[in-house]
Amino acid sequence: MGEYALLYILFAPFAGALGLIFVSNRQPLLVRSIAASAAFTSLIASLYIFYAYDPIAGGFQFVQKFEWSRQLGIALYLGVDGIGTPLVLASSILLFAGIFVSWHIKDRTKEFYIWLLILAAATIGVFMSLDLFFLYFFYEMSVIPMYLLLGMWGSHTKKYLEMTDPEGLKRRDSVGFILNFGSNSKEYAAMKLVLFLSAFAVVALMGILLIYKFSGLNTFDILVLREQANLMNIPALGTTLDKIIWVLVFFGFASIAPLWPLHSWSPVGHAAAPAATSMLHAGVLMKLGHFSIMRVAFEILPETTRELMPIAAVLCMFSIIYGGFVAFYAKDTKYVIGYSSSSHMGYVFLGMAALNYISLSGAVIYMFAHAMATGMLFAMAGWVYDQTHSRDIPSLGGLANKMPFISACFIVACMASIGMPGTVNFIAEIMIIVGSWNKYPLQVIVAMLGIVLTLAYLFKMMRGLFYGPMNQKYSHAHDAISTVDRLPLLIMISISIGFGIFPMHLYDVVRSGVDPLVARITRVVPVAEIGERLGVRGKSATPQEAGAPLAAHKATSHPPQVSREGAE
Amino acid sequence: MTFSLNMAFSDLLFLLPEIFLTCWLCVVLIVDFSLPRFPKERLAYLSVAGLLITLGCLGWFDLHHISGTLFGNMFVLDRMAIFFKIFILGATILVILASIEYVNRFTLFRGEYYCLVVMAALGMMFMVSANDLLSVFVSLEFATLGFYILVSYLRDDLASNEGGLKFFILGVFAASLLAYGISLVYGETGKLVFSEMASAKPTPGLVIGFLLICASLGFKIGAVPFHSWIPDTYHGAPTPVTTFLSIAPKAAAFAILLRLFLVALATFKPLWVTFLVAVSILSMTYGNIVAIAQRNIKRLLAYSGIAQVGNVLIGLAAGTKMGSDAILFYLLAYLFANIGAFAVVIAVSQAIGRDEIEDYRGLNRRSPFLAFAMLLFLLSLAGVPPLAGFIGKLYIFVAAIHEGLYTLIAVGLINIVISMYYYLIIVKQMYINEPVDPSPIGISSPMKAVIYVGLAGTLVIGIYPQPFTDWVVSATVMFANVIGPSATAIPPDSISGG
Repeated sequence: MGEYALLYILFAPFAGALGLIFVSNRQPLLVRSIAASAAFTSLIASLYIFYAYDPIAGGFQFVQKFEWSRQLGIALYLGVDGIGTPLVLASSILLFAGIFVSWHIKDRTKEFYIWLLILAAATIGVFMSLDLFFLYFFYEMSVIPMYLLLGMWGSHTKKYLEMTDPEGLKRRDSVGFILNFGSNSKEYAAMKLVLFLSAFAVVALMGILLIYKFSGLNTFDILVLREQANLMNIPALGTTLDKIIWVLVFFGFASIAPLWPLHSWSPVGHAAAPAATSMLHAGVLMKLGHFSIMRVAFEILPETTRELMPIAAVLCMFSIIYGGFVAFYAKDTKYVIGYSSSSHMGYVFLGMAALNYISLSGAVIYMFAHAMATGMLFAMAGWVYDQTHSRDIPSLGGLANKMPFISACFIVACMASIGMPGTVNFIAEIMIIVGSWNKYPLQVIVAMLGIVLTLAYLFKMMRGLFYGPMNQKYSHAHDAISTVDRLPLLIMISISIGFGIFPMHLYDVVRSGVDPLVARITRVVPVAEIGERLGVRGKSATPQEAGAPLAAHKATSHPPQVSREGAE
Repeated sequence: MTFSLNMAFSDLLFLLPEIFLTCWLCVVLIVDFSLPRFPKERLAYLSVAGLLITLGCLGWFDLHHISGTLFGNMFVLDRMAIFFKIFILGATILVILASIEYVNRFTLFRGEYYCLVVMAALGMMFMVSANDLLSVFVSLEFATLGFYILVSYLRDDLASNEGGLKFFILGVFAASLLAYGISLVYGETGKLVFSEMASAKPTPGLVIGFLLICASLGFKIGAVPFHSWIPDTYHGAPTPVTTFLSIAPKAAAFAILLRLFLVALATFKPLWVTFLVAVSILSMTYGNIVAIAQRNIKRLLAYSGIAQVGNVLIGLAAGTKMGSDAILFYLLAYLFANIGAFAVVIAVSQAIGRDEIEDYRGLNRRSPFLAFAMLLFLLSLAGVPPLAGFIGKLYIFVAAIHEGLYTLIAVGLINIVISMYYYLIIVKQMYINEPVDPSPIGISSPMKAVIYVGLAGTLVIGIYPQPFTDWVVSATVMFANVIGPSATAIPPDSISGG
């Protein structure tokens, strides 16, 4: 089974979605168990690859390659390195948890699980693509299910309900609706999210097409393309081409990350989405941005990355501070968590901008850690919303009496989100801060301030939801009692704390992915830390090894016109 | 040139599909007239049977690489012609199956409807084989004649008559432009066959002549600024005819355009690239922006069709072998998505009787199957992975980026996002809004078959395109010699231009 593990992870959710098409909505239990077993298969296989991944060997493992289109030079080329592995694991944990979080959805259950599974599978697909085409393929594929998930099972914000005019229906269908920033209906959120992300996705696609053309290799294979990396210093439009491509790729993918000022789709989308979707959305979908930047911009254009990454260092300050302050003043639970996510994603950009082993590893671990923490927060905000049908913090309160389990978990999630020692977030945060201090002291101070802000708004929200006087309107609210309801939270808490206490394997895996990348970008040979500890040097960064894919490509592929005549 | 008709009897083999289909058409007509009791529905299946046999014959041609020319190079049977013939026959079969229920709306001449559809298909089969300007003119008019009648088939419906009239007047105008253009080109070069024109010098008269020919073909494919007939005609025509009109004549006209630009005008490429880039940008942008404002789904699909033609023109502007591959592939993806989308429109209008976008409110509650099919078709038209339309768009963009058409690709990419808005508005109506009348919608079995074929095509081409890319690559093999290898591994000096 070992070498096919990635196929199981990727195709089990797709198979589950396909199977669900043939099941009737009248058997909700069957629907849920099919979805859960698909997610479980995926989860087991990702646990397997996480522990079977060999950090000493490093590089891309569990590689699968199937030719897909000769004419266009596309192969379904899957493989994970130390960066992809934890993110694949995070995706399948959140998918599995998300299935249980949305256990009580009654309206069109089957359709809900189909889209949720497709969303998660597409996300996982990005994390394991070694082919630019498939990276974009899965990236764009993960955007569309969001539209239906938000639109069909989402919820309007409070403000929207106040603002609905008598002609509301007409206006909601009109062209002007898209510019109507006040309304924040779920339809608006869904449309904004899809259009915004697609608009920036095509910007990234333009960059990808330029890479495809100017590499002159007729392939989308990342491992081949990265050997061609610095041949793109062609003068164009007053600068060099590689800078233009880098900017296209960086901002195209940074929109989903979401880097300030491209974040405006994100909190609206979080707020409108059902709990499980918010979890996947904040937990892993946003990481597609950072991951794709690392996979495309960092791998293929390392020199340019070194030159231009300070852009991210500047913008990430605004992300952290702006997101933090808005979260502090927001009154809607999901807005608080949404803005907190976009603020926390600034830390990842900081870690990426500093471009050294410690900070970049910190950024990758932070992505994993944040997935768990924010997943918990959204799951609990979703639980509170299900019970009270309110996300308005001032109107809630005193729920600790009604839901002791949830409020206890909430404290843990807050601690994780802040980065308390003992959670994996702490390790990630400390690595980002320590790693970035030499290069960007100002940003690190801002990040410290961001942590204080996180503390402030999360505690403010906790007090608002669970303590203080109880609103009698919500006296019917009850706790998560059944195993099904508690399971997702327990899984995420145990992962978060488990890796907080025993981070070594996670750290080794991440370092094995980060080291060659940083070595390529900074041209500084890594301090042989894993190697020393484990006794062997990682060899994926050696030049002979690195040149191998290009040589193989040149040996096996023909120029396109030759293969076309061959097809005749 | 001399017209000689001394040909061997075996040469007629190349015409076998057309000859057979003509005979079958007569059989269908005779059955219709002489057996008044014969149910009209069976006439549809009879026509489909004939088309299937023809399709089988063409499949055999394709497998055995049969090719050749007839009538002093007027008629050519090459692999591209076979591809387009199979394409058109496939479209015709699907359209006939989708019409069976709809035909009951016609008060008169239900039997002739099928004959006219097959006749139009026959005309288009000649169009894709046309190898000189005269046969272009004759076959184009032959194919359009059937459509003039079909568009105004709903005799009591004002919109249908209006659409028919507009189509007829503008169609005749386009035909006169074509005739005038041909006369100018013939006057300047003394040649009619495409491949013999390649050595001509670009004199003003020749340029005007070709512009007139392009205008006339632009009318057929509905590219801006020759699109003005499209919305009203698509709106007024019976929906199955709209379906047919939106795919088959466009494909046939693209076959002619490919031969014209890549064979006859190959040496003038620098002259026509700018022209095609402009037409393509205008078509995509205009089609997509105007589609946003539409309330009627047929009009929306009409404008989206204009935008899709703009996309196909990107491939033509690339003007390479790969560009022509991409065009064929894109049309294949467009065939399934577009016929599928129109089939859903027909099924819904059978149940509701209207084609407004508002009528799709809550379609997911009323018929999950129709809503899901429509969702996939629309997303394929918008170009969302893993559906056929995405691969088609990517193929076109890859072909264009090899030729350095950066501006065109950027506009094309922006247009994907614009088009997503109005396709998603329909998705919103179907999935998010609640239905006014929640009664379920039934679908007839031939219609179901059409939708299943559309779904299968959209998904299979999207998920595993290799066999289809192989097919289109081998279909356009003749362009490899005419144009030479496409420029691939060039490190150009700048990326300005496009």
